[in-house]
Amino acid sequence: MDQPAAAMDSLLQALQVNIIPNQEYLLQGSVLDTAVQRVLHRLKGLCDNVESAPEQFSDYEACFSLGSPVTDQMQAQQQPPLFLRVIRKTSEPVDAGTPFQLRYIGNPELGDAKRPTLVRASFDIACSPTICDFLTEMGCQLKFEYTIRGYLFRKGRMKISVSKIFKINQEPISQSYLVELSVLAPSGHDSVAEDMRIFAEKLKPLVLLEKIDYKRLAQMGN
Amino acid sequence: MQREEKQLEMFLDNSLIKLNDLKKAIGQMIQKIEMEHERINWPQFLDNFALISGHLAGLSKQLALEYTPQISRLTVLPLFLSPDVDEHLVQITEGRLPVFAAECVPDYLRTKPDPTMESRMNLHEAKANALTNETAAKQVAQYTKIVSHVSDLISKARDEWEIESMNRNAQMPTYSQADTHTLVKAVGMGTNLAVTGGPVGNMLIPPGPRMPGPVQMSSVSPNLPQMGKLPSSIKTNIKSASLHPYR
Amino acid sequence: MGVTILTPYPLQNKSGAEAIEELSKRLLALGATQAGQFLVDGDIFEHSFKKIKIHVMHNSEYPASVFSILDNGQKQIPLITDLIFDLLMLKVNPIYSSKKMIKIESKGPRFELGDFLVKLGSVTMSQNQNFKGILIEVDYRPCLVPAFCWDLIKEFLQGLLGQQAPTAIPGYFTNTLPSNNPNQHYHRFNDTYQPIDTVQQYLEHFNNYRKQSQAPTI
Repeated sequence: MDQPAAAMDSLLQALQVNIIPNQEYLLQGSVLDTAVQRVLHRLKGLCDNVESAPEQFSDYEACFSLGSPVTDQMQAQQQPPLFLRVIRKTSEPVDAGTPFQLRYIGNPELGDAKRPTLVRASFDIACSPTICDFLTEMGCQLKFEYTIRGYLFRKGRMKISVSKIFKINQEPISQSYLVELSVLAPSGHDSVAEDMRIFAEKLKPLVLLEKIDYKRLAQMGN
Repeated sequence: MQREEKQLEMFLDNSLIKLNDLKKAIGQMIQKIEMEHERINWPQFLDNFALISGHLAGLSKQLALEYTPQISRLTVLPLFLSPDVDEHLVQITEGRLPVFAAECVPDYLRTKPDPTMESRMNLHEAKANALTNETAAKQVAQYTKIVSHVSDLISKARDEWEIESMNRNAQMPTYSQADTHTLVKAVGMGTNLAVTGGPVGNMLIPPGPRMPGPVQMSSVSPNLPQMGKLPSSIKTNIKSASLHPYR
Repeated sequence: MGVTILTPYPLQNKSGAEAIEELSKRLLALGATQAGQFLVDGDIFEHSFKKIKIHVMHNSEYPASVFSILDNGQKQIPLITDLIFDLLMLKVNPIYSSKKMIKIESKGPRFELGDFLVKLGSVTMSQNQNFKGILIEVDYRPCLVPAFCWDLIKEFLQGLLGQQAPTAIPGYFTNTLPSNNPNQHYHRFNDTYQPIDTVQQYLEHFNNYRKQSQAPTI
């Protein structure tokens, strides 16, 4: 047996040769509650897991932010806060062994008009339930939280989720389901974006999946 | 492509072997009739005949097999016709065919339908001939009626479907851009989801049997065995009602 | 899995390599077979101005996990994650930065002897690989509760180390932990052993080594 390599070294090496899927290609859209059955029906026909009923999921998600040290105002402006999400499965069966999920999501990049999807850094880390205390003590602040319930489809490496977002008091946030089409891939796999565009075409005109400009959305007023 | 060629070659080899067997059997039969026609008896003759018919059956069976390459797709072209005597041809046909000329080629290269097909065709032809003009006209009218009826049904269904889908598209949008923005803003930036205090946050208290380390969130004593037992929601509610634990 | 006891081995004027070799010979004489190498490492990430330290540790026995322990001076919060957590620690860089000088690791041969797993680790610190000492890890695999097998492990250690064997239960297991019930004292000795306990023992010893050699900034 060889000398075990230091874990950090092998991880950095993996990062260098681009085998860690840390880029998320994303298209988003929504569908009204009244039409969701039709979308589910179409997805059932388009996706891989046709034989079985679509996978249902129910998660609780909390978003924490880690701001830059307040002492250095200059740096605080340059460095946007880091957003970390803790996701916990709430649908049965849940037991003590079900890990929590920690998700890092970077700033979305629109790219030029030629790129069909949004791209953002994203990676998921399975972790023990102490994660919330850990983050709080690290200096993270809970920014918002919600429950997300819906259906999951797969088509090759594409993931399609149709889900309803609820406030913590179980009040739905809108009369629509959020539809997301995403692929998690190592950086440089831009060809998947084209596959996603083609798939999104197949959902028209029921759902319009597009790359959404977060910056413009934020400016559109709250 | 290569595999197909190989298959064809194998098939031709097999056919050739069978044909040779057949030729030999026929040759023996002819020889017997010519040389021993005085001594030959009926059972012997029948035996030989059975042998030939066996070979024939085997050959047609092989030709009918589905997995044999479709030799029907292949064409045999007489490239060179000549009225002169062809020595080579005489040799390979054992003196049976001296010339390959226009008058004999159609006989030798004739294509004949599959025997089963031929019999079925004959049957149909006989049936058609037996029909009187009157009944034929009647049947045609009947068919026309049925076909036009089916066509009516289909076009009616299509019209209905088109109207329906047009209505659907026109009257009921299936998505709303505003909702998309609301949802994306909520999930991405927390708009309308901001933590406001109150009895929230207890969703994150794990149902674990042991919180590793000295941190004790739940009020349950940790060294009691409580595998699979959820922390009492009442207790945690009381705890978190006063103060949001992650704020 | 099993119960692991970590104990430092005094060098007594020998070099680290000599001591490891001597112990290896002793183990082989007892009938042990060498089963590869092991590596436990510990990195520290410090908050840029608050007194918060995050120890990020790896153990080759659990190659897909990262064990992190957050220490804010009052309490420690352990966190077990998969390997991608290291990537995250790179992302929090301006706020938490790694202290490369006090990165510490223990590595060496790994032996199997019946139900026991013995690892002889030479502890080195920082990128210069300064030798700090020897840590011996004994893992008794069939058992999950330290209280049930401590005597057995103690006896095994005495057989292996003689005079240098520890006689008392390591403090990590006997420290009383805060509990919501004041009448009920809680310590890890009677609890089910978990992989994080191994890492925390390493952390205690690593911190001792750091204290011995470093300026009081740690």
